[in-house]
Amino acid sequence: MSEMVGKLFGWVNSRLPVSNTFERHLSKHPVPSKVNFWYLFGALASVVLIIQIVSGIWLIMPYSNTEEEAFASIEYIMRDVDYGWVIRYMHTTGASMFFAVVYLHMFRGLLYGSYQKPKELVWIFGCTIYLAMMAEGFLGYVLPYGQMSYWGAQVIISLFGAIPYIGESLELWIRGDYYISGITVSRFFALHVVALPLVLIALVFLHLVALHEVGAGNPEGVDIEEHLDDDGVPLDSVPFFPYKVLNALVGIGVFMTVFAIIMFFFPEGGGYFIEMANFEEANPLVTPEHIAPVWYYSPYYAMLRAVPDKLGGLIVMGSAVAILFVVPWLDKSKVASIRYKGIYSKVALALFGISFITLGYLGTVSVTEVRKTMSVICTVIYFAFFLLMPIYTKYEKTLEVPERL
Amino acid sequence: MIKKQSNILNIKLSKFLVAIGLLVSINGIDAAEGGPCKDYGECDEFKYSLNDMASLQRGASTFLNYCYGCHSLQYSRWGRVSKDLQIPEEIFFDNLVFDKSIKPGDLMIGSMSKEQSAQWFGVAPPDLTLVSRVRGDDWIYSYLRAYYEDSSKQYGVNNLVYPGTAMPNVLMALQGNQKLVCKDVPVIAKNGGEKRDDFGNTITKEKCGYLKVDVGSGELNKEEFDSLIYDLTNFLVYVGEPAKAERERMGWYVIFYFLIFTALSALLYREYHKDYHK
Repeated sequence: MSEMVGKLFGWVNSRLPVSNTFERHLSKHPVPSKVNFWYLFGALASVVLIIQIVSGIWLIMPYSNTEEEAFASIEYIMRDVDYGWVIRYMHTTGASMFFAVVYLHMFRGLLYGSYQKPKELVWIFGCTIYLAMMAEGFLGYVLPYGQMSYWGAQVIISLFGAIPYIGESLELWIRGDYYISGITVSRFFALHVVALPLVLIALVFLHLVALHEVGAGNPEGVDIEEHLDDDGVPLDSVPFFPYKVLNALVGIGVFMTVFAIIMFFFPEGGGYFIEMANFEEANPLVTPEHIAPVWYYSPYYAMLRAVPDKLGGLIVMGSAVAILFVVPWLDKSKVASIRYKGIYSKVALALFGISFITLGYLGTVSVTEVRKTMSVICTVIYFAFFLLMPIYTKYEKTLEVPERL
Repeated sequence: MIKKQSNILNIKLSKFLVAIGLLVSINGIDAAEGGPCKDYGECDEFKYSLNDMASLQRGASTFLNYCYGCHSLQYSRWGRVSKDLQIPEEIFFDNLVFDKSIKPGDLMIGSMSKEQSAQWFGVAPPDLTLVSRVRGDDWIYSYLRAYYEDSSKQYGVNNLVYPGTAMPNVLMALQGNQKLVCKDVPVIAKNGGEKRDDFGNTITKEKCGYLKVDVGSGELNKEEFDSLIYDLTNFLVYVGEPAKAERERMGWYVIFYFLIFTALSALLYREYHKDYHK
């Protein structure tokens, strides 16, 4: 029996690079032996991606993408489909957790300079994934066709209308109608379940291929390729499989526990994961009292509201995401990790983190004069962090990076 | 032609922006007034108990007798309610379902046409399947107990939680006649205690806006009425998410599973970790 399996495997292996790929990317793929918990979020993001794809497929089955039935079909899933509520809450919780782990993953990048040469492409693919996720999340949020789906979409789509000359035609082209209607819902459905997932999977693949080409980083910013053993394997490395896989498994266990606590006990996340107004069917004639985006977009929404002019707001919002792409060329530091960078970098990163979280809060609450001023200040800090980076990373005093991990 | 169209869109857009601006400012005022329960002040806290079948059954009975005439539960099915609330189907259909053509698999779509009811009440009574998720249970529990006599209104009543509500106080016969009254309340001194005069008597000030029921005007006393509303709200929490009790039950098992998973993978990791940290 085992002989037969061996033969079959040999047959396949001589036609498909199975063991080759396994060795190259898993069992003999060297990764730094010492990393910290910040290096877990990439693995967690891929776990959530799988959760989203699987739960998404099961949601498509009973969901109806028409104006008349979309909202009712969600309630049908919640009530009449066996364990439909499990699938749905898995997907809604997954959406929030996806952004949570990706934000932490990105912050890790900023902390330890995970974008520095030669990882520029890894970083750029990552930023593109983030952009695709934002689009995916927005499209998905419209599908239950509740009040927030409708009015959130109204606000976001109307932003495109602020673009000079082509704005209005663009708006019309996105909606497919003069108003948000069943046509909008069904095209968003197609984009949400087919187009963007394909893009996302392709990008994740590229992100990983590029990463494996240049090798994973570490919190010290040490290049492990500098010290190799006789076989050409970095001394400060361990094979990805099984060591790092098992390490990640512990992290996944902790993460899934948190995931389960949210999903089974706080699926609405206090109105931040599923907004209360979205339990009311979309009604073009009644505007909800308070339109706020879900938490993961709220920093950008706060930036949008900080600028009095709509087009200006749109430009600020777009630039806030676009600027991430050029970070590899803004950082002029000789060292990668925050551990060896100077005081300016440390203060800048701390201020940046605080301002981003503050903007996130401000984007969920209504505007007052004080809050508006705060939004402006935080937006300025956000951009200053990036725009001044070439200066403060170049002229600050850095510490000596050790030779080995 | 195209130009004209873009003008229309422009007007629409500006109207929309004005609406948003208005809403934001309204929201500001709303926040200043202290939240969703409006003139009532803080909403009364409600703690659901979805495993209390007797409460849910009483709540269902109150709903079907007093509310279902106008309010549908259009995403919920009759049979599911009877099953979840552990009411034998026969008893349920004999005593709580008044239209004998209804089958267990039917949705609870209500008994009144939306067009007619909109004519009668000015606005069609909303479907209440998800009201507990839109408004929250605290809000419902407070709202149903915050009616008061107000002869200026169409049905002679108004509501502190929802001023100008279109719904008459359907439960008035049970609750009795609730009025807004004024009371002498102690003035609070700067140190947080009651303010007293030179003779040690508490200084009071008249304050209005308190709810008070005329004693004996309703079939139920205050405790009985509060408990009736408790059961009704509890039922609405159930109907807003029928799987809620099961969800919270199942959650513990899933968490337990992942804790074991974490522990086992940690042990496995530690074993492998020895390979390169000798």
